[in-house]
Amino acid sequence: MRVDPTYVSNLVGSLDQAQANEQQLTAELSSGVSITSLGQNPVAAGENVLLLNQIQQDDSFTQTSSLVTGQLQVADSTLGSVVSQLTQAISLATSANNGTMNASNVESVANQISGILDEVQSLANTSYQGQYIFGGGQTSTTPFTTSTATSPSVTTYNGDQDVNYLQTPNGQKIQLNVPGSQIFLGTGTNSVFGALNALVADYSSGTVNTAQAVGDTQALNTALNFVSQQRVSIDNSITQVTAASDAITSDQTQLITAQTNLMQANVAQVSTQLSLAETQQTALEDVIAQLDSSSNSLFSKLQ
Amino acid sequence: MGTINSAFSLISGALEADQSALSIVANNVANANTPGYTQERPNWQENQPLEINGVSYGQGVTETGATSLRDSVLVTRLDQQQQLASASSARLTALDSLQALFPPDSGSASAKAGDIGSDITTFFSSFASLEANPSDASLREEVLSSATTLAGDISNAAASLNDQSAGLGQEAAGVTSQVNSLTTAIAQLNQQIQTTSPSADGGTLEDQRNQDISQLSQLVGINQIKTENNGLSITTTSGQLLVSEGTSFQLSSGLVNGATHFFLGNSDITSQLATGGGQLGGYLTAATQDIPSAMATLDQLAYSISTSVNALNNAGTDLNGATGSAASPLYVFNEPLQVAGSAQAMAVIMTNPDQIAAAGAGLGPGDNSNALAMANLANQAIAGGATPTDYYSNFVSTLGATVSGVQAENMAQNASVSQLQTQNNALSSVNLNDEAAAMSTLQTSYQAASQVFNILNTIMTSALNLGVQTTVS
Repeated sequence: MRVDPTYVSNLVGSLDQAQANEQQLTAELSSGVSITSLGQNPVAAGENVLLLNQIQQDDSFTQTSSLVTGQLQVADSTLGSVVSQLTQAISLATSANNGTMNASNVESVANQISGILDEVQSLANTSYQGQYIFGGGQTSTTPFTTSTATSPSVTTYNGDQDVNYLQTPNGQKIQLNVPGSQIFLGTGTNSVFGALNALVADYSSGTVNTAQAVGDTQALNTALNFVSQQRVSIDNSITQVTAASDAITSDQTQLITAQTNLMQANVAQVSTQLSLAETQQTALEDVIAQLDSSSNSLFSKLQ
Repeated sequence: MGTINSAFSLISGALEADQSALSIVANNVANANTPGYTQERPNWQENQPLEINGVSYGQGVTETGATSLRDSVLVTRLDQQQQLASASSARLTALDSLQALFPPDSGSASAKAGDIGSDITTFFSSFASLEANPSDASLREEVLSSATTLAGDISNAAASLNDQSAGLGQEAAGVTSQVNSLTTAIAQLNQQIQTTSPSADGGTLEDQRNQDISQLSQLVGINQIKTENNGLSITTTSGQLLVSEGTSFQLSSGLVNGATHFFLGNSDITSQLATGGGQLGGYLTAATQDIPSAMATLDQLAYSISTSVNALNNAGTDLNGATGSAASPLYVFNEPLQVAGSAQAMAVIMTNPDQIAAAGAGLGPGDNSNALAMANLANQAIAGGATPTDYYSNFVSTLGATVSGVQAENMAQNASVSQLQTQNNALSSVNLNDEAAAMSTLQTSYQAASQVFNILNTIMTSALNLGVQTTVS
């Protein structure tokens, strides 16, 4: 049988390959990443794009949700203050309605309720980061203004009925605002400003038309309940955002684990492979040295 | 009846034959490391016997020259396999630079820089953040800045692809001059071989011709056709004539629509060369298939994102209450007119973040419905039937699979080449052990022949002196 007399050069080829292998393994160890080019593992590279996309979306939602929670909490505490102002107005009206007050005291009640009206209007015009929160989509227009030209005065809504939603990465839509007209200018007896303006008009002359005043006080009471109901929907949104944010955070943790498993080099495994490659290289070098030193041809034996 | 004289002539013939055989061995040893050299064996031929009175007498030996130990089927097979191996190796080199433009994102902050997949997500997430507070200036600024990053990275990648394509064209054009000098040399060798050895192996000339063909087949895919009188014609794999016996035909290259094309005479043979194999085939496959396919994907991605986002933004209401019109459209990206070229041309033309139309048509500045719609584009099949991220992920996997496929192909072809090389070397390259053994054998036979000559000389002396030991010694 004939042999290839240049077999040492084939061994050198294997030596090159062993060295390239070591180089790759060393790169994995030093970078900590197992996939450094697309061709190494095409499926994992594609999967990695999708995982990172979800992780990033989750991350971005977590940040957005804290921003949104701030805004919703301001709305909630504003409505809390409105409720306590209205409670105070109801107790003032109730005491004015019981017929024991003189004219000047009734006028004083009218003034106090008027003050409460101003306070509630200013609460209804609350802004968060420069944006009115009860104006619907009209966040740069003062939502409520009162005209004193008529008696009772008339408070008008300058916003719109626009409702914003925040969409979670899972597609859930969370309501972000309640238009101001729905809270403060409900239809019929649900109108906060209507009831307050009526009461101010009832008491401002000093004489009380009890039937009228009792009816208006009753209306304010109804309006108060209506505000509380609207507040519940904001509270619900806060709960939903918090829950969604928690779910997304735990989702993100799992995705990061999956992504890490996919891309990170398994140090123990890579080290073992590296050590094997080094052994192989040493063995090949020894073989080549051996073959070279024995000057492998019959010519060395000829005399 | 044989005579002492005839024995003299016979043994001196043997000495000459041994000498020329020794010189063939010496030539083998001298060329042991010459690339393309095929080891030669002396041809021994028994001389025609002489018949005298019905008795046959052997007339010794003649050395009639050397024969190269060559298996032309094996050599051709090796050339063919080398074409494939060098094609896939050239293509792999090009693909390696191609895939380096899209390194896998390990998730670290530094790895994100320039990563288009991450840019896409950041861009659409910036609309999702805008849902929280549609009139917030910093969130709006964020949308524009992420759009700029996305457009910049896509257009940079496209520009690099174009550069790589041009670079490959230049390298391929460089190969043609080597091809031309080799075909010229082969044509000359054809003439010499046809003149000197029309009916037998051309020996050293044949070695040179094979060596040239081997180099040529690494550069370009070829077919060999044997012609009469030991001549040779060479065509490209798809049949265009490069060498016809003593005549060679020159390849030339030139730019057609910005791409390097190759011509033989007046006919454009670029596409035939691309599929033909060899280094040229590998370069052309990368330049005409792999890079354009990556470019088409980027173009589609850029076109889809630009047009979809532009359309929605144009239909919404910006912070100042304006809606886009034909005269002054509210475009985030420059609106591409066609898919081709979209990637390199992708850029953000919007300068004022107030122009981002977060609000739906006719709605107040606090409305976020259009921002939500634009954020939702990330989950809609806007790019070639897939979401932008799925589309990019698919592109990455496809490119990776191509690279890994070519890697596997190249490895298999190289293994096959080295196997064939080993077989061919075993037959044709100079084995010093064999030469030492041959040397030793020839030495012995030369010594034996000279000893015979010596004895014949003594016998002849005795004959001349008729048994008396006097003058002639």
